[in-house]
Amino acid sequence: MIQTEHLSKRYGKLQALTDLNLNIDKGKVFGFIGPNGAGKSTTMLILSTLLTPSEGKAYVCGYDVVKEPKDVRQSLGYMPDFFGVYDNLKATEYLDFYAGAYNIPPAKRKSLIADLLELVNLSNKADAYVDSLSRGMKQRLGLARCLVHSPDVLILDEPASGLDPRARIEMREILKQLRRMNKTILISSHILPELAELCDEIGVIEKGKLIACGAVDDVSIRSRGISMMEVRTVFGAEKAERILRESRFVRQLDDKNSHFRIQFMGTEENKAELLQQLIAAGVGVVHFGDSRENLEDVFLAITEGVGN
Amino acid sequence: MKDIFTNPLIVKEMRERFRTRKTVWILALYLLVMGSLLLGFMYVLQLNELPMPGDNRELFVMTAVLQYALLCFIAPALAAGTISGERERQTLHVLMTTQLTPAQIVWSKLLTSLAFVFLLVVASLPLYSFVFLYGGISPKQLLLLMVFFAVNILFFGALGVFCSTWIKRTGVSTITAYGLAFFFVVGTGLLYVFLGLLLEELYPQQWLNDSVWGLTGLQILGELNPVLVMFELLGENLGPTFDEYFMTPWIFFTCCYVLLSVLLIWWSAFLLKPVRPGLRWK
Ligand SMILES: Nc1ncnc2c1ncn2[C@@H]1O[C@H](COP(=O)(O)OP(=O)(O)OP(=O)(O)O)[C@@H](O)[C@H]1O
Ligand SMILES: [Mg+2]
Repeated sequence: MIQTEHLSKRYGKLQALTDLNLNIDKGKVFGFIGPNGAGKSTTMLILSTLLTPSEGKAYVCGYDVVKEPKDVRQSLGYMPDFFGVYDNLKATEYLDFYAGAYNIPPAKRKSLIADLLELVNLSNKADAYVDSLSRGMKQRLGLARCLVHSPDVLILDEPASGLDPRARIEMREILKQLRRMNKTILISSHILPELAELCDEIGVIEKGKLIACGAVDDVSIRSRGISMMEVRTVFGAEKAERILRESRFVRQLDDKNSHFRIQFMGTEENKAELLQQLIAAGVGVVHFGDSRENLEDVFLAITEGVGN
Repeated sequence: MKDIFTNPLIVKEMRERFRTRKTVWILALYLLVMGSLLLGFMYVLQLNELPMPGDNRELFVMTAVLQYALLCFIAPALAAGTISGERERQTLHVLMTTQLTPAQIVWSKLLTSLAFVFLLVVASLPLYSFVFLYGGISPKQLLLLMVFFAVNILFFGALGVFCSTWIKRTGVSTITAYGLAFFFVVGTGLLYVFLGLLLEELYPQQWLNDSVWGLTGLQILGELNPVLVMFELLGENLGPTFDEYFMTPWIFFTCCYVLLSVLLIWWSAFLLKPVRPGLRWK
Protein backbone atom coordinates (compact mmCIF):
# COMPACT_ATOMS: atom_id res chain seq x y z
CA MET A 1 0.00 0.00 0.00
CA ILE A 2 2.86 2.34 0.77
CA GLN A 3 5.94 2.02 -1.32
CA THR A 4 9.00 4.18 -1.74
CA GLU A 5 11.85 3.70 -4.13
CA HIS A 6 15.19 5.41 -3.58
CA LEU A 7 13.41 8.28 -1.94
CA SER A 8 15.70 11.20 -1.10
CA LYS A 9 15.13 14.70 0.11
CA ARG A 10 17.56 17.56 0.37
CA TYR A 11 16.88 20.88 2.05
CA GLY A 12 19.52 23.01 0.41
CA LYS A 13 22.73 21.32 1.48
CA LEU A 14 21.18 19.27 4.22
CA GLN A 15 20.45 15.70 3.24
CA ALA A 16 17.31 14.99 5.24
CA LEU A 17 16.50 11.65 3.66
CA THR A 18 18.74 9.26 1.76
CA ASP A 19 17.69 6.45 -0.50
CA LEU A 20 14.70 5.22 1.46
CA ASN A 21 13.12 1.99 0.31
CA LEU A 22 9.96 0.97 2.10
CA ASN A 23 7.27 -1.47 1.27
CA ILE A 24 4.29 -1.69 3.55
CA ASP A 25 1.59 -4.22 2.76
CA LYS A 26 -2.12 -3.74 3.17
CA GLY A 27 -3.40 -4.01 6.73
CA LYS A 28 0.05 -3.74 8.27
CA VAL A 29 1.02 -1.30 10.97
CA PHE A 30 4.46 0.07 10.34
CA GLY A 31 6.28 1.86 13.12
CA PHE A 32 8.79 4.47 12.15
CA ILE A 33 11.30 5.18 14.84
CA GLY A 34 14.29 7.41 15.11
CA PRO A 35 15.75 10.27 17.10
CA ASN A 36 14.92 13.93 16.51
CA GLY A 37 15.79 15.15 13.06
CA ALA A 38 16.07 11.67 11.61
CA GLY A 39 13.73 12.40 8.72
CA LYS A 40 10.51 10.74 9.87
CA SER A 41 8.33 13.78 9.38
CA THR A 42 10.01 14.49 6.06
CA THR A 43 9.09 11.04 4.78
CA MET A 44 5.54 11.47 5.96
CA LEU A 45 5.22 14.88 4.33
CA ILE A 46 6.37 13.42 1.03
CA LEU A 47 3.90 10.57 1.30
CA SER A 48 1.13 13.03 2.11
CA THR A 49 1.85 15.02 -1.07
CA LEU A 50 2.97 18.06 0.90
CA LEU A 51 6.60 17.97 -0.11
CA THR A 52 8.31 17.17 -3.37
CA PRO A 53 11.02 14.53 -3.09
CA SER A 54 14.43 15.48 -4.46
CA GLU A 55 14.88 12.04 -5.93
CA GLY A 56 13.08 8.78 -6.07
CA LYS A 57 9.46 7.76 -6.17
CA ALA A 58 6.76 7.14 -3.65
CA TYR A 59 3.42 5.42 -4.07
CA VAL A 60 0.37 5.27 -1.85
CA CYS A 61 -2.25 2.71 -2.85
CA GLY A 62 -0.47 2.49 -6.16
CA TYR A 63 -0.75 6.20 -6.91
CA ASP A 64 2.34 8.28 -7.49
CA VAL A 65 2.51 11.03 -4.86
CA VAL A 66 3.92 13.57 -7.29
CA LYS A 67 1.88 12.75 -10.38
CA GLU A 68 -1.47 11.78 -8.89
CA PRO A 69 -1.76 13.77 -5.68
CA LYS A 70 -5.55 13.94 -5.86
CA ASP A 71 -5.95 10.16 -5.74
CA VAL A 72 -3.31 9.87 -3.06
CA ARG A 73 -5.11 12.43 -0.90
CA GLN A 74 -8.38 10.59 -1.25
CA SER A 75 -6.83 7.37 -0.03
CA LEU A 76 -4.83 8.59 2.93
CA GLY A 77 -5.41 10.35 6.20
CA TYR A 78 -2.50 12.38 7.48
CA MET A 79 -2.04 13.63 11.00
CA PRO A 80 0.91 16.00 11.42
CA ASP A 81 3.04 16.05 14.56
CA PHE A 82 1.77 19.52 15.36
CA PHE A 83 -1.55 20.76 14.18
CA GLY A 84 -3.95 23.46 15.21
CA VAL A 85 -7.69 23.58 15.36
CA TYR A 86 -9.95 26.41 14.33
CA ASP A 87 -11.40 28.86 16.80
CA ASN A 88 -15.12 29.22 17.20
CA LEU A 89 -15.99 25.84 15.73
CA LYS A 90 -17.69 23.02 17.56
CA ALA A 91 -16.31 19.50 17.32
CA THR A 92 -19.13 18.40 15.04
CA GLU A 93 -18.72 21.47 12.84
CA TYR A 94 -14.99 20.88 12.71
CA LEU A 95 -15.51 17.36 11.40
CA ASP A 96 -18.32 18.54 9.16
CA PHE A 97 -15.95 21.01 7.56
CA TYR A 98 -13.43 18.31 6.70
CA ALA A 99 -16.17 15.98 5.53
CA GLY A 100 -17.22 18.74 3.16
CA ALA A 101 -13.63 19.22 2.08
CA TYR A 102 -13.60 15.58 1.01
CA ASN A 103 -16.85 16.03 -0.90
CA ILE A 104 -18.90 13.81 1.36
CA PRO A 105 -22.59 14.53 0.72
CA PRO A 106 -24.25 16.43 3.60
CA ALA A 107 -26.90 13.75 4.06
CA LYS A 108 -24.30 11.21 5.13
CA ARG A 109 -22.28 13.45 7.39
CA LYS A 110 -24.37 13.43 10.54
CA SER A 111 -24.19 9.72 11.21
CA LEU A 112 -20.58 9.57 10.03
CA ILE A 113 -19.53 12.26 12.47
CA ALA A 114 -21.39 10.61 15.33
CA ASP A 115 -19.62 7.33 14.55
CA LEU A 116 -16.22 8.96 14.42
CA LEU A 117 -16.71 10.77 17.71
CA GLU A 118 -17.82 7.49 19.21
CA LEU A 119 -14.70 5.79 17.91
CA VAL A 120 -12.38 8.31 19.55
CA ASN A 121 -14.46 8.57 22.74
CA LEU A 122 -15.44 12.17 22.24
CA SER A 123 -19.18 11.78 21.94
CA ASN A 124 -19.70 13.80 25.09
CA LYS A 125 -17.70 16.68 23.62
CA ALA A 126 -19.62 16.89 20.37
CA ASP A 127 -20.91 20.38 21.09
CA ALA A 128 -17.79 21.73 22.74
CA TYR A 129 -15.71 24.32 20.95
CA VAL A 130 -12.58 22.67 19.61
CA ASP A 131 -10.20 25.26 20.98
CA SER A 132 -11.48 24.49 24.46
CA LEU A 133 -10.52 20.82 24.27
CA SER A 134 -7.47 19.46 26.05
CA ARG A 135 -4.36 18.39 24.20
CA GLY A 136 -5.28 14.71 24.34
CA MET A 137 -8.82 15.38 23.14
CA LYS A 138 -7.54 17.51 20.28
CA GLN A 139 -5.21 14.71 19.34
CA ARG A 140 -8.09 12.24 19.28
CA LEU A 141 -10.24 14.68 17.36
CA GLY A 142 -7.39 15.01 14.90
CA LEU A 143 -7.40 11.27 14.49
CA ALA A 144 -11.15 11.32 13.86
CA ARG A 145 -10.51 14.04 11.32
CA CYS A 146 -8.08 11.73 9.44
CA LEU A 147 -10.84 9.18 9.16
CA VAL A 148 -13.70 11.25 7.73
CA HIS A 149 -13.19 9.99 4.20
CA SER A 150 -12.47 6.44 5.45
CA PRO A 151 -9.02 6.20 3.89
CA ASP A 152 -7.20 2.90 3.58
CA VAL A 153 -3.91 4.37 4.65
CA LEU A 154 -3.22 6.40 7.76
CA ILE A 155 -0.04 8.39 8.26
CA LEU A 156 0.29 9.45 11.86
CA ASP A 157 3.21 11.58 12.92
CA GLU A 158 3.83 11.05 16.62
CA PRO A 159 0.18 10.76 17.58
CA ALA A 160 1.08 10.21 21.21
CA SER A 161 3.43 13.14 21.68
CA GLY A 162 2.51 15.37 24.56
CA LEU A 163 0.01 12.94 26.01
CA ASP A 164 -0.02 11.65 29.56
CA PRO A 165 0.36 7.90 30.14
CA ARG A 166 -3.37 7.31 30.36
CA ALA A 167 -4.02 9.24 27.18
CA ARG A 168 -1.25 7.30 25.48
CA ILE A 169 -2.93 4.06 26.36
CA GLU A 170 -6.27 5.37 25.11
CA MET A 171 -4.65 6.43 21.88
CA ARG A 172 -3.08 3.01 21.55
CA GLU A 173 -6.44 1.32 22.05
CA ILE A 174 -7.95 3.45 19.30
CA LEU A 175 -5.08 2.56 17.01
CA LYS A 176 -5.56 -1.12 17.75
CA GLN A 177 -9.17 -0.73 16.81
CA LEU A 178 -8.12 0.86 13.55
CA ARG A 179 -5.80 -2.03 12.92
CA ARG A 180 -8.74 -4.37 13.34
CA MET A 181 -10.52 -2.29 10.72
CA ASN A 182 -7.74 -3.38 8.36
CA LYS A 183 -6.22 0.04 7.81
CA THR A 184 -2.63 0.32 6.72
CA ILE A 185 -0.93 2.57 9.25
CA LEU A 186 2.41 4.32 9.19
CA ILE A 187 3.13 5.69 12.61
CA SER A 188 6.19 7.45 13.99
CA SER A 189 7.55 7.85 17.46
CA HIS A 190 10.76 8.19 19.38
CA ILE A 191 9.57 5.72 21.94
CA LEU A 192 10.00 2.16 20.87
CA PRO A 193 7.99 0.31 23.53
CA GLU A 194 5.04 2.41 22.55
CA LEU A 195 5.26 1.07 19.03
CA ALA A 196 6.36 -2.45 19.81
CA GLU A 197 2.99 -3.61 21.03
CA LEU A 198 1.10 -2.06 18.19
CA CYS A 199 3.23 -2.57 15.13
CA ASP A 200 3.72 -5.49 12.83
CA GLU A 201 6.94 -4.06 11.55
CA ILE A 202 9.25 -1.29 12.53
CA GLY A 203 11.84 0.68 10.67
CA VAL A 204 14.64 2.45 12.46
CA ILE A 205 15.78 5.62 10.79
CA GLU A 206 18.74 7.75 11.69
CA LYS A 207 20.18 10.77 9.89
CA GLY A 208 17.95 10.12 6.90
CA LYS A 209 18.98 6.51 6.46
CA LEU A 210 16.93 3.43 7.19
CA ILE A 211 19.28 1.36 9.31
CA ALA A 212 17.04 -1.50 10.34
CA CYS A 213 13.69 -2.68 9.15
CA GLY A 214 11.54 -5.70 9.77
CA ALA A 215 9.28 -7.39 12.30
CA VAL A 216 9.68 -6.04 15.82
CA ASP A 217 11.63 -9.02 17.13
CA ASP A 218 13.76 -9.22 14.02
CA VAL A 219 14.92 -5.69 14.39
CA SER A 220 15.79 -6.06 18.00
CA ILE A 221 17.36 -9.51 18.05
CA ARG A 222 17.92 -11.35 14.86
CA SER A 223 19.21 -8.67 12.54
CA ARG A 224 21.44 -7.09 15.12
CA GLY A 225 21.83 -9.80 17.68
CA ILE A 226 21.61 -7.26 20.43
CA SER A 227 19.26 -7.44 23.35
CA MET A 228 19.17 -6.02 26.82
CA MET A 229 18.90 -8.48 29.68
CA GLU A 230 18.43 -8.34 33.38
CA VAL A 231 19.99 -10.71 35.86
CA ARG A 232 19.10 -10.64 39.56
CA THR A 233 20.84 -12.73 42.16
CA VAL A 234 20.33 -13.33 45.88
CA PHE A 235 23.83 -14.62 46.57
CA GLY A 236 27.08 -15.01 44.71
CA ALA A 237 26.94 -11.57 43.14
CA GLU A 238 30.74 -11.30 42.86
CA LYS A 239 30.97 -14.58 41.04
CA ALA A 240 28.14 -13.58 38.77
CA GLU A 241 29.85 -10.31 37.97
CA ARG A 242 33.08 -12.07 37.09
CA ILE A 243 31.33 -14.54 34.83
CA LEU A 244 29.34 -11.86 33.10
CA ARG A 245 32.41 -9.71 32.57
CA GLU A 246 34.31 -12.58 31.07
CA SER A 247 31.53 -13.85 28.87
CA ARG A 248 32.08 -13.14 25.21
CA PHE A 249 28.36 -12.44 24.66
CA VAL A 250 28.20 -9.57 27.08
CA ARG A 251 29.08 -6.21 25.69
CA GLN A 252 28.20 -3.91 28.51
CA LEU A 253 27.47 -4.43 32.15
CA ASP A 254 25.59 -2.27 34.61
CA ASP A 255 25.71 -3.33 38.19
CA LYS A 256 23.33 -2.18 40.90
CA ASN A 257 23.86 -4.38 43.97
CA SER A 258 23.37 -7.86 42.61
CA HIS A 259 21.03 -6.53 39.95
CA PHE A 260 22.75 -6.60 36.58
CA ARG A 261 21.70 -5.11 33.30
CA ILE A 262 23.66 -6.44 30.40
CA GLN A 263 23.79 -5.76 26.72
CA PHE A 264 23.76 -9.21 25.26
CA MET A 265 25.01 -10.15 21.82
CA GLY A 266 24.10 -13.64 20.79
CA THR A 267 21.37 -16.13 20.13
CA GLU A 268 18.81 -17.67 22.46
CA GLU A 269 21.12 -20.71 22.85
CA ASN A 270 23.88 -18.42 23.99
CA LYS A 271 21.59 -17.06 26.65
CA ALA A 272 20.85 -20.55 27.92
CA GLU A 273 24.54 -21.28 27.94
CA LEU A 274 25.23 -18.21 30.03
CA LEU A 275 22.54 -19.12 32.52
CA GLN A 276 23.90 -22.64 32.91
CA GLN A 277 27.33 -21.17 33.47
CA LEU A 278 26.01 -18.95 36.25
CA ILE A 279 24.16 -21.76 37.97
CA ALA A 280 27.08 -24.13 37.64
CA ALA A 281 29.20 -21.54 39.45
CA GLY A 282 26.73 -21.59 42.33
CA VAL A 283 25.19 -18.18 41.77
CA GLY A 284 21.69 -17.79 43.23
CA VAL A 285 19.88 -16.53 40.14
CA VAL A 286 16.32 -15.38 40.79
CA HIS A 287 15.76 -13.55 37.59
CA PHE A 288 17.27 -14.00 34.17
CA GLY A 289 15.49 -12.51 31.20
CA ASP A 290 14.93 -9.72 28.74
CA SER A 291 14.85 -6.30 30.26
CA ARG A 292 11.49 -4.61 30.30
CA GLU A 293 12.93 -1.49 28.73
CA ASN A 294 14.56 -3.80 26.27
CA LEU A 295 13.48 -2.09 23.11
CA GLU A 296 14.49 1.34 24.27
CA ASP A 297 18.01 0.20 24.96
CA VAL A 298 18.20 -1.79 21.79
CA PHE A 299 17.17 1.30 19.96
CA LEU A 300 19.93 3.29 21.61
CA ALA A 301 22.41 0.52 20.92
CA ILE A 302 21.42 0.28 17.28
CA THR A 303 21.50 3.99 16.60
CA GLU A 304 24.67 4.52 18.56
CA GLY A 305 27.34 6.06 16.45
CA VAL A 306 25.52 5.61 13.18
CA GLY A 307 26.34 8.33 10.72
CA ASN A 308 29.28 9.71 12.66
CA MET B 1 -22.77 30.40 -7.62
CA LYS B 2 -24.48 27.45 -6.00
CA ASP B 3 -21.00 26.46 -5.02
CA ILE B 4 -20.79 29.33 -2.56
CA PHE B 5 -23.32 27.88 -0.18
CA THR B 6 -21.99 24.35 -0.29
CA ASN B 7 -18.29 25.20 -0.29
CA PRO B 8 -17.19 23.92 3.12
CA LEU B 9 -14.38 26.43 3.44
CA ILE B 10 -16.72 29.37 2.99
CA VAL B 11 -19.19 28.01 5.51
CA LYS B 12 -16.37 27.43 7.98
CA GLU B 13 -14.84 30.87 7.45
CA MET B 14 -18.19 32.56 7.93
CA ARG B 15 -18.80 30.64 11.12
CA GLU B 16 -15.37 31.51 12.41
CA ARG B 17 -15.54 35.15 11.44
CA PHE B 18 -19.02 35.97 12.57
CA ARG B 19 -18.73 34.21 15.88
CA THR B 20 -15.89 36.40 17.09
CA ARG B 21 -16.48 39.61 18.95
CA LYS B 22 -13.79 41.24 16.89
CA THR B 23 -16.04 41.31 13.86
CA VAL B 24 -18.72 43.28 15.66
CA TRP B 25 -16.13 45.69 17.01
CA ILE B 26 -14.65 46.36 13.60
CA LEU B 27 -18.09 47.03 12.17
CA ALA B 28 -19.04 49.31 15.04
CA LEU B 29 -15.76 51.17 14.91
CA TYR B 30 -16.00 51.60 11.18
CA LEU B 31 -19.47 53.11 11.35
CA LEU B 32 -18.48 55.24 14.31
CA VAL B 33 -15.47 56.72 12.54
CA MET B 34 -17.37 57.27 9.32
CA GLY B 35 -20.42 58.72 11.04
CA SER B 36 -18.67 60.98 13.50
CA LEU B 37 -16.31 62.45 10.91
CA LEU B 38 -19.19 63.00 8.54
CA LEU B 39 -21.41 64.63 11.13
CA GLY B 40 -18.50 66.68 12.38
CA PHE B 41 -17.81 67.91 8.90
CA MET B 42 -21.48 68.75 8.37
CA TYR B 43 -21.46 70.73 11.58
CA VAL B 44 -18.43 72.72 10.51
CA LEU B 45 -20.01 73.38 7.13
CA GLN B 46 -23.16 74.81 8.59
CA LEU B 47 -21.15 77.06 10.88
CA ASN B 48 -19.54 78.70 7.91
CA GLU B 49 -22.53 79.20 5.72
CA LEU B 50 -26.18 78.48 5.52
CA PRO B 51 -26.73 75.03 4.20
CA MET B 52 -27.60 75.31 0.55
CA PRO B 53 -29.28 72.13 -0.50
CA GLY B 54 -28.83 71.35 -4.12
CA ASP B 55 -25.29 72.24 -5.01
CA ASN B 56 -23.01 71.29 -2.20
CA ARG B 57 -20.85 68.48 -3.48
CA GLU B 58 -18.11 68.93 -0.95
CA LEU B 59 -19.77 66.63 1.49
CA PHE B 60 -20.15 63.88 -1.03
CA VAL B 61 -16.51 64.08 -2.05
CA MET B 62 -15.52 64.15 1.57
CA THR B 63 -17.55 61.03 2.36
CA ALA B 64 -16.18 59.16 -0.61
CA VAL B 65 -12.58 60.01 0.24
CA LEU B 66 -13.12 59.04 3.84
CA GLN B 67 -14.62 55.73 2.93
CA TYR B 68 -11.89 55.05 0.42
CA ALA B 69 -9.22 55.76 3.01
CA LEU B 70 -10.85 53.38 5.45
CA LEU B 71 -11.13 50.69 2.79
CA CYS B 72 -7.44 51.06 1.92
CA PHE B 73 -6.79 50.49 5.56
CA ILE B 74 -9.08 47.54 6.20
CA ALA B 75 -9.23 45.47 3.02
CA PRO B 76 -5.52 44.56 2.68
CA ALA B 77 -5.23 43.82 6.39
CA LEU B 78 -8.21 41.49 6.45
CA ALA B 79 -6.99 39.52 3.47
CA ALA B 80 -3.33 39.50 4.46
CA GLY B 81 -3.98 37.13 7.34
CA THR B 82 -6.03 34.53 5.53
CA ILE B 83 -3.52 31.97 4.30
CA SER B 84 -0.66 32.87 6.62
CA GLY B 85 -3.12 32.66 9.50
CA GLU B 86 -3.84 29.05 8.59
CA ARG B 87 -0.13 28.44 8.35
CA GLU B 88 0.53 29.97 11.75
CA ARG B 89 -2.26 28.00 13.35
CA GLN B 90 -0.75 24.88 11.75
CA THR B 91 -3.92 23.99 9.95
CA LEU B 92 -2.70 24.62 6.42
CA HIS B 93 -0.96 21.28 5.97
CA VAL B 94 -4.06 19.37 6.88
CA LEU B 95 -6.15 21.57 4.64
CA MET B 96 -3.83 20.83 1.74
CA THR B 97 -4.29 17.09 2.12
CA THR B 98 -8.04 17.35 1.58
CA GLN B 99 -9.69 17.39 -1.80
CA LEU B 100 -9.83 21.20 -1.78
CA THR B 101 -7.61 22.54 -4.54
CA PRO B 102 -5.27 25.47 -3.90
CA ALA B 103 -7.38 27.57 -6.26
CA GLN B 104 -10.51 26.76 -4.29
CA ILE B 105 -8.79 27.62 -1.04
CA VAL B 106 -7.54 30.96 -2.32
CA TRP B 107 -10.91 31.87 -3.85
CA SER B 108 -12.91 30.99 -0.78
CA LYS B 109 -10.53 32.82 1.49
CA LEU B 110 -10.67 35.90 -0.71
CA LEU B 111 -14.42 35.74 -1.02
CA THR B 112 -15.05 35.54 2.69
CA SER B 113 -12.72 38.37 3.56
CA LEU B 114 -14.25 40.47 0.77
CA ALA B 115 -17.72 39.64 1.98
CA PHE B 116 -16.92 41.28 5.27
CA VAL B 117 -15.54 44.42 3.64
CA PHE B 118 -18.64 44.61 1.46
CA LEU B 119 -20.70 44.33 4.59
CA LEU B 120 -18.89 47.38 5.95
CA VAL B 121 -19.64 49.36 2.81
CA VAL B 122 -23.27 48.33 2.69
CA ALA B 123 -23.69 49.08 6.37
CA SER B 124 -22.36 52.56 5.79
CA LEU B 125 -24.70 53.28 2.90
CA PRO B 126 -27.34 54.93 5.10
CA LEU B 127 -24.76 57.60 5.91
CA TYR B 128 -24.96 58.63 2.31
CA SER B 129 -28.53 59.70 2.91
CA PHE B 130 -27.14 62.73 4.73
CA VAL B 131 -25.08 63.40 1.71
CA PHE B 132 -28.06 63.18 -0.58
CA LEU B 133 -29.69 65.83 1.58
CA TYR B 134 -27.13 68.25 0.31
CA GLY B 135 -27.55 67.09 -3.22
CA GLY B 136 -25.08 67.73 -5.98
CA ILE B 137 -24.73 64.12 -7.01
CA SER B 138 -26.66 61.88 -9.27
CA PRO B 139 -27.65 58.32 -8.41
CA LYS B 140 -25.52 57.26 -11.36
CA GLN B 141 -22.48 58.79 -9.73
CA LEU B 142 -23.19 56.98 -6.52
CA LEU B 143 -23.59 53.73 -8.40
CA LEU B 144 -20.32 54.27 -10.24
CA LEU B 145 -18.65 55.06 -6.97
CA MET B 146 -19.87 51.76 -5.58
CA VAL B 147 -18.50 49.93 -8.61
CA PHE B 148 -15.23 51.74 -8.12
CA PHE B 149 -15.15 50.73 -4.47
CA ALA B 150 -15.97 47.14 -5.39
CA VAL B 151 -13.06 46.98 -7.82
CA ASN B 152 -10.74 48.44 -5.22
CA ILE B 153 -11.90 46.03 -2.54
CA LEU B 154 -11.36 43.13 -4.91
CA PHE B 155 -7.90 44.35 -5.77
CA PHE B 156 -6.82 45.02 -2.19
CA GLY B 157 -8.21 41.64 -1.21
CA ALA B 158 -6.32 39.87 -3.95
CA LEU B 159 -3.18 41.77 -2.99
CA GLY B 160 -3.61 40.77 0.63
CA VAL B 161 -4.24 37.12 -0.19
CA PHE B 162 -1.23 37.09 -2.46
CA CYS B 163 1.05 38.51 0.24
CA SER B 164 -0.46 36.04 2.67
CA THR B 165 0.42 33.09 0.46
CA TRP B 166 3.81 34.40 -0.48
CA ILE B 167 4.99 35.43 2.99
CA LYS B 168 4.98 33.03 5.91
CA ARG B 169 4.15 35.41 8.75
CA THR B 170 0.93 37.38 9.04
CA GLY B 171 2.70 40.43 10.47
CA VAL B 172 5.16 40.75 7.62
CA SER B 173 2.52 39.91 5.07
CA THR B 174 0.23 42.68 6.36
CA ILE B 175 3.02 45.23 6.19
CA THR B 176 3.94 44.13 2.68
CA ALA B 177 0.32 44.32 1.59
CA TYR B 178 0.10 47.86 2.97
CA GLY B 179 3.33 48.77 1.23
CA LEU B 180 2.12 47.49 -2.11
CA ALA B 181 -1.30 49.11 -1.65
CA PHE B 182 0.46 52.36 -0.84
CA PHE B 183 2.42 52.09 -4.04
CA PHE B 184 -0.74 51.66 -6.09
CA VAL B 185 -2.73 54.38 -4.35
CA VAL B 186 -0.07 57.02 -3.80
CA GLY B 187 3.00 55.82 -5.68
CA THR B 188 1.42 55.72 -9.11
CA GLY B 189 0.02 59.23 -8.60
CA LEU B 190 3.37 60.64 -7.55
CA LEU B 191 5.11 58.91 -10.42
CA TYR B 192 2.56 60.33 -12.80
CA VAL B 193 3.02 63.90 -11.59
CA PHE B 194 6.77 63.54 -11.37
CA LEU B 195 7.17 62.16 -14.89
CA GLY B 196 4.87 64.79 -16.31
CA LEU B 197 6.72 67.64 -14.67
CA LEU B 198 10.06 66.14 -15.61
CA LEU B 199 9.15 65.92 -19.27
CA GLU B 200 7.84 69.45 -19.19
CA GLU B 201 11.08 70.71 -17.67
CA LEU B 202 13.34 68.74 -19.97
CA TYR B 203 11.59 69.59 -23.21
CA PRO B 204 9.82 72.89 -22.63
CA GLN B 205 9.48 73.64 -26.36
CA GLN B 206 7.89 70.33 -27.17
CA TRP B 207 5.26 70.29 -24.43
CA LEU B 208 3.62 73.67 -24.30
CA ASN B 209 0.65 74.59 -22.18
CA ASP B 210 0.33 71.40 -20.26
CA SER B 211 0.08 69.40 -23.46
CA VAL B 212 2.37 66.83 -21.89
CA TRP B 213 -0.56 65.51 -19.86
CA GLY B 214 -2.18 64.41 -23.11
CA LEU B 215 0.54 61.83 -23.72
CA THR B 216 -1.00 58.34 -23.85
CA GLY B 217 1.71 56.84 -21.67
CA LEU B 218 1.18 59.39 -18.96
CA GLN B 219 -2.56 59.06 -19.23
CA ILE B 220 -2.33 55.33 -18.70
CA LEU B 221 -0.28 55.94 -15.59
CA GLY B 222 -2.76 58.52 -14.39
CA GLU B 223 -5.71 56.29 -15.00
CA LEU B 224 -4.06 53.56 -13.01
CA ASN B 225 -4.07 55.79 -9.98
CA PRO B 226 -7.22 55.16 -7.96
CA VAL B 227 -7.25 58.62 -6.41
CA LEU B 228 -7.19 60.42 -9.74
CA VAL B 229 -9.83 58.08 -11.11
CA MET B 230 -12.06 58.59 -8.11
CA PHE B 231 -11.91 62.37 -8.39
CA GLU B 232 -12.58 62.15 -12.07
CA LEU B 233 -15.59 60.01 -11.22
CA LEU B 234 -16.82 62.54 -8.71
CA GLY B 235 -16.48 65.26 -11.31
CA GLU B 236 -13.65 67.01 -9.53
CA ASN B 237 -10.33 67.73 -11.08
CA LEU B 238 -7.04 67.25 -9.42
CA GLY B 239 -4.04 69.02 -10.83
CA PRO B 240 -3.64 69.57 -14.56
CA THR B 241 -6.64 69.26 -16.78
CA PHE B 242 -6.70 67.39 -20.02
CA ASP B 243 -9.04 67.84 -22.90
CA GLU B 244 -9.64 64.23 -23.64
CA TYR B 245 -8.83 60.81 -22.33
CA PHE B 246 -7.99 57.97 -24.65
CA MET B 247 -10.51 55.91 -22.68
CA THR B 248 -12.99 56.71 -19.94
CA PRO B 249 -10.84 56.57 -16.81
CA TRP B 250 -13.03 54.39 -14.65
CA ILE B 251 -13.56 51.80 -17.40
CA PHE B 252 -9.85 51.55 -18.06
CA PHE B 253 -9.16 51.43 -14.34
CA THR B 254 -11.74 48.71 -13.77
CA CYS B 255 -10.41 46.55 -16.58
CA CYS B 256 -6.81 46.87 -15.45
CA TYR B 257 -7.44 46.25 -11.79
CA VAL B 258 -9.80 43.33 -12.30
CA LEU B 259 -7.22 41.75 -14.58
CA LEU B 260 -4.49 42.41 -12.05
CA SER B 261 -6.61 40.88 -9.29
CA VAL B 262 -7.27 37.75 -11.29
CA LEU B 263 -3.56 37.44 -12.00
CA LEU B 264 -2.70 37.81 -8.33
CA ILE B 265 -5.27 35.19 -7.35
CA TRP B 266 -4.00 32.79 -9.96
CA TRP B 267 -0.44 33.35 -8.82
CA SER B 268 -1.43 32.77 -5.20
CA ALA B 269 -3.05 29.47 -6.11
CA PHE B 270 0.14 28.52 -7.90
CA LEU B 271 2.31 29.44 -4.93
CA LEU B 272 0.10 27.49 -2.58
CA LYS B 273 0.44 24.24 -4.48
CA PRO B 274 2.81 22.12 -2.39
CA VAL B 275 3.87 19.68 -5.07
CA ARG B 276 4.22 20.66 -8.67
CA PRO B 277 5.09 17.88 -11.09
CA GLY B 278 8.06 18.72 -13.24
CA LEU B 279 9.10 21.52 -10.93
CA ARG B 280 11.55 20.95 -8.14
CA TRP B 281 10.72 23.01 -5.13
CA LYS B 282 13.08 23.46 -2.29
N1 LIG C 1 11.61 23.01 5.99
C1 LIG C 1 12.85 22.59 6.27
N2 LIG C 1 13.90 23.29 5.83
C2 LIG C 1 15.16 22.88 6.08
N3 LIG C 1 15.47 21.78 6.77
C3 LIG C 1 14.46 21.04 7.25
C4 LIG C 1 13.10 21.40 7.02
N4 LIG C 1 12.31 20.46 7.62
C5 LIG C 1 13.14 19.58 8.18
N5 LIG C 1 14.43 19.90 7.96
C6 LIG C 1 15.60 19.13 8.40
O1 LIG C 1 15.44 17.81 7.93
C7 LIG C 1 15.88 16.88 8.91
C8 LIG C 1 14.81 15.85 9.16
O2 LIG C 1 13.72 16.49 9.78
P1 LIG C 1 12.40 15.73 10.19
O3 LIG C 1 11.42 16.77 10.63
O4 LIG C 1 11.99 14.83 9.10
O5 LIG C 1 12.86 14.90 11.45
P2 LIG C 1 12.01 13.96 12.40
O6 LIG C 1 12.56 12.60 12.27
O7 LIG C 1 10.56 14.14 12.15
O8 LIG C 1 12.37 14.55 13.82
P3 LIG C 1 11.44 14.70 15.12
O9 LIG C 1 11.55 13.40 15.83
O10 LIG C 1 12.12 15.79 15.87
O11 LIG C 1 10.08 15.04 14.68
C9 LIG C 1 16.26 17.69 10.13
O12 LIG C 1 17.66 17.74 10.19
C10 LIG C 1 15.68 19.05 9.89
O13 LIG C 1 16.56 20.02 10.39
MG1 LIG D 1 8.90 14.87 13.25
